[in-house]
Amino acid sequence: MAVLELPDWTALAPALILAGTALVLFLLDSINPRSTNRSLLAGTAVVGSLASLAVAVWYTAAGVGATGIENHGVIDIMGGQFIVDQLALYFMIIIAVVTALVTVASYDYLRDHTYQAEYYSLVVLAATGMSTMAASNSLVTIFIALELTSLPSYALVAILKDNRGSVEAGLKYFLIGALSSAIFVYGVSLVYGATGSLQLEAIADGLGGAGEMGGLLGLGILMLIGGIAFKTASVPFHFWAPEAYEGAPAPISAFLSSASKAAGFVLAFRVFATAFPLEATTAIIGVDWTLAFVILAIVTMTVGNFAAATQENVKRMLAYSSIGHAGYVLIGLAALSADGGELVMGAAMMHLLVYGFMNTGAFLFVGLAEYWGVGRTFEDYNGLSEQAPFACAAMAVFMFSLAGIPLFGGFWSKYLLYTATIDAAADNAILLVLAAALVVNSALSLYYYSRLVKALWIEDPVTDRDQLAKPTGLYAAIIAAAVITVLILPAFGPIADAATEAAAAIIV
Amino acid sequence: MAGLATDPFGFAPAIAVFPLVAFVVALLFGEHLPKKGALPGIIATAGSLAISLVMFVAVGGGKTHHATLYEWTNGAAQSATGVETIAFSFGILIDPLSALMLVIVSLVALLVHVFSLGYMNAEGETGLPRYYAELGLFTFSMLAFVFADNLLMAFMFFELVGLCSYLLIGFWFRTKSAPSAAKKAFLVTRFGDYFFLIGVVAIAATFGTVGFAGEESFVTAAETAIDNEATLFGFDAQTWVTITGLLVLGGVLGKSAQFPFHTWLPDAMEGPTTVSALIHAATMVAAGVYLVARMFGYYALSPTALAIIAFVGGFTALFAATMGVVKDDVKQVLAYSTISQYGYMMLGLGVGGYVAGVFHLMNHAFFKALLFLGAGAVIILMHHEQDMWEMGGLKDKAPVTYYTFLAGALALAGIVPFSGFWSKDEVLFDALIVGLEQPVILAAYAMGLIAVFFTGVYTFRMVFLTFHGEPRSETAEDPHPVGWAVKAPLIVLGVLAALTGLVNMAPVAHVLGVDITFLEFWLDGEYGAVEGLTYHEYSETVAFGESYVGSETVTMLLSAGLSLGLALAGAFTAHTLYNVPEPDRHMTKLGGAYGLLRRNYYQDEYQVWLAEGLTLPLARAADRFDQTVIDGVVNGTSTISLFGSDRLKRIQTGIVTNYAALLVGGFIGLLLVLGYIGGWFA
Repeated sequence: MAVLELPDWTALAPALILAGTALVLFLLDSINPRSTNRSLLAGTAVVGSLASLAVAVWYTAAGVGATGIENHGVIDIMGGQFIVDQLALYFMIIIAVVTALVTVASYDYLRDHTYQAEYYSLVVLAATGMSTMAASNSLVTIFIALELTSLPSYALVAILKDNRGSVEAGLKYFLIGALSSAIFVYGVSLVYGATGSLQLEAIADGLGGAGEMGGLLGLGILMLIGGIAFKTASVPFHFWAPEAYEGAPAPISAFLSSASKAAGFVLAFRVFATAFPLEATTAIIGVDWTLAFVILAIVTMTVGNFAAATQENVKRMLAYSSIGHAGYVLIGLAALSADGGELVMGAAMMHLLVYGFMNTGAFLFVGLAEYWGVGRTFEDYNGLSEQAPFACAAMAVFMFSLAGIPLFGGFWSKYLLYTATIDAAADNAILLVLAAALVVNSALSLYYYSRLVKALWIEDPVTDRDQLAKPTGLYAAIIAAAVITVLILPAFGPIADAATEAAAAIIV
Repeated sequence: MAGLATDPFGFAPAIAVFPLVAFVVALLFGEHLPKKGALPGIIATAGSLAISLVMFVAVGGGKTHHATLYEWTNGAAQSATGVETIAFSFGILIDPLSALMLVIVSLVALLVHVFSLGYMNAEGETGLPRYYAELGLFTFSMLAFVFADNLLMAFMFFELVGLCSYLLIGFWFRTKSAPSAAKKAFLVTRFGDYFFLIGVVAIAATFGTVGFAGEESFVTAAETAIDNEATLFGFDAQTWVTITGLLVLGGVLGKSAQFPFHTWLPDAMEGPTTVSALIHAATMVAAGVYLVARMFGYYALSPTALAIIAFVGGFTALFAATMGVVKDDVKQVLAYSTISQYGYMMLGLGVGGYVAGVFHLMNHAFFKALLFLGAGAVIILMHHEQDMWEMGGLKDKAPVTYYTFLAGALALAGIVPFSGFWSKDEVLFDALIVGLEQPVILAAYAMGLIAVFFTGVYTFRMVFLTFHGEPRSETAEDPHPVGWAVKAPLIVLGVLAALTGLVNMAPVAHVLGVDITFLEFWLDGEYGAVEGLTYHEYSETVAFGESYVGSETVTMLLSAGLSLGLALAGAFTAHTLYNVPEPDRHMTKLGGAYGLLRRNYYQDEYQVWLAEGLTLPLARAADRFDQTVIDGVVNGTSTISLFGSDRLKRIQTGIVTNYAALLVGGFIGLLLVLGYIGGWFA
């Protein structure tokens, strides 16, 4: 394999390609600051993200990060500051896919927008941050990657400068983000104080020396959880999400709620599985840290789903639904203490992948509706299926898949998550509560998801509409996401294996 | 054709497939075919008959056939007897019993199809494609039921014939009574089938197999379990076999119209008379009895179940015969007669008289189909008048109908040498010899014997009122002529009704000491049989003792003499009362008893009461529970959820300082909980 001859740093290629793409976009912008050549700009971003995706897939196929003679093993870079393993590649794939979908869709969404080049470069920069986050293996690199993701995101949410909602959302997002970053970085310092290291494996090794400082370390860990909860939009660090998602341009909402959330989770998976091995940590801080995730998971999915149930605004409903899904994925961390926890985590990662398609697709449909200018509430969406049957069919697929109805990807990932949790509950009875919460919340979610399908397909339109346009880019992205949501079924076996392997690899 | 040369059984599935094809053809193209779908039906049933005869000959040549056609599911499921897997399949079992039944069913079906040309087509009925399609579907289902090699397949086709019965009873669905009768038939038989289904599940769960024949059958498994004195579901094996057998018997009683599920059959006469002949006399109603015969090895293991079968049979025979005596509608008389005759078959099987039961089943199929078709001919003659008091004197105007009908009547009444005599006598003889040991059976025998007298009365009352005396209405004076499509089937069946009894003349064989009990040899596997499914193996299993008055021959002659005497007495009574030019309604002189019989012992009333007085309030209560408690909980859940949603939504105030406060508050809350548990503040 060619990879063998490549220097180690090339293992970060998926992130580096995105960084390079961002620089190319800057270059284009400085050559012609007022360029409205949308094809060139969007095309560059799409090509960059697809290249990143291709490299990540190639690495996975070639066995980077996998153990065994045929494979290349885990690659450490810069003395363990970065690490490229299956987990990293898995999330790089998710992030690259979502970036590609979002940039394709943005081509039409931003048709009259002034800041084309800025927009794409910010998106690709944020994607770079996320991709880096997947490979970060030290609290320093993690924090840098986190900020590299967050800062462009704030700007992206507020990019519709003339739109009051967008600007306000950006500011709120920034303020909550600043607070969360402060908490996170304080947590980093406490952990450093207790263990004397920032590199994750070194932290694990240094736990023994923390001895007396159990409370300090515990507080540090909790603060790290806070920072991560902000990124994954988990309760109570979720307050920015409904407003940011609602105010931001729809493709950006899709981007933040899918890719950014996935990046937050890879962080959580890696930090907690590597740096804070359960037994050793529990011995020092006196409490099983999975308990924090149990509480967060239950509260997050309940708040997310319940708040979503009576929303009138579709985008806001999706925002809360995305909070609810974060709750489901948190089960993956909450179950780590039990035997079979790696299966639960694998299922959670699986759910993140499927979620990357169905949630992105759903937000992009909202983007399509904004492009048409039909309005924002459920009622405004009434009877859209008459004018746009394909897009509405895709939306129905997304909704049913999000709700976890059989035959769509979302059903399988949720089902795997559920059965893995039940199996693991044999070891830790509290997981039964999580499984129950998962079922109850999924049932409730069916209510508001099907409400939207009903509006699209069954209700009659309130007002007469003219013929609706069919923007190629948005349509392509939506249909692609829908097709993959369905087609992921046959591929489920191998993907689930990959996810479980990736999860098992980091759990020592 | 290679298959035919080496093994005729390769064609066995075609027996059922032909009518299925006819069903499809009649359904799709019936409107455009000459005779509206009758021809495909006739060709198909003729084909089925031909192949059935080939099977019959092959079985006579010593071969049998048992094959699985299609296994539709299997899986690992441990049964109570320790079988690890279970498989459900469609299969064919052709042994002496099923070969005989296949011939009977396909023959009667063919004759009924031909008769329908005269009864339905010539009378200008509408909806004929539907009629022939349903007949085809029925024939298919019935034939497949007959050659089913396992209980589940039998159950499925048992249900299908029930469906066809429902459809055909309700053929004239625009009238008020036909749909109601169809629903009644469907519901009452369904009630019995409900127990049948539970029985199938119980047998499958107990023995891990539902096969009828071979080492893998549930019969063999049950035998082994009883020999091992196994405990099944908390019962000893014998009791459990009785329980499951009785559950299956629920379906049998419903389908064969045995007390207390007999009420649907008289109402089923709302269907066309051809349907009554085929379905509600000769074949479908026989499905129940056939099922008992098919799994006779299983019932033979349980004396209790057998005694119940015998007693219900004997009781039904008498009970229905008494009601038949007072009916005025010719088809009603035949309906009660059918119920009564199936009682005899159950009695025969219940006392271990497998040959007697099957013998009567065969004879009855022919003579009752004959009588129904004869009644159909009379109805054509009478321009669709069915009241016997409007008839009279048809003897001379329709001689073919009269003489064939008379042959059927003599067979039904059990007058020597017509077929019914031989089989009914054998049933009663078998019941008597067991009854001398078992009081319950003796009671059943006594009821069966008394019923012979009533059979004679109602049969000849019907004959005399219909054909003899002076015409009592204008239509009776000038009847509508009938064609050959009507006469030919009557003649064929008339000959059969007269002669089929000769295949098993047990008393003659005994007295003369010659081997002429051919049916017994046939069912005993002298020509060919599947191991375990023969008469003498059943007889060895049945635990009843037998004894005789004097010697066996004396008992046999005594029994034959008694039943023949009673039948003649009944016939003579009818002759005295009704074979006069202007007969009176003598039965009304019975007073209270007449009313009781006319109202069918208030069976319908009490069943209606059961439905309206008992089931309906229960259903209402369940509905109220559903409406209030269940729906209340469901609605309550959604109300609470939506209310909670409304509240939760308000946390999002839109003011960023609130968010920061809540965020920090939430974080501190989490910190307090974990810190408290972890002891960080100590």
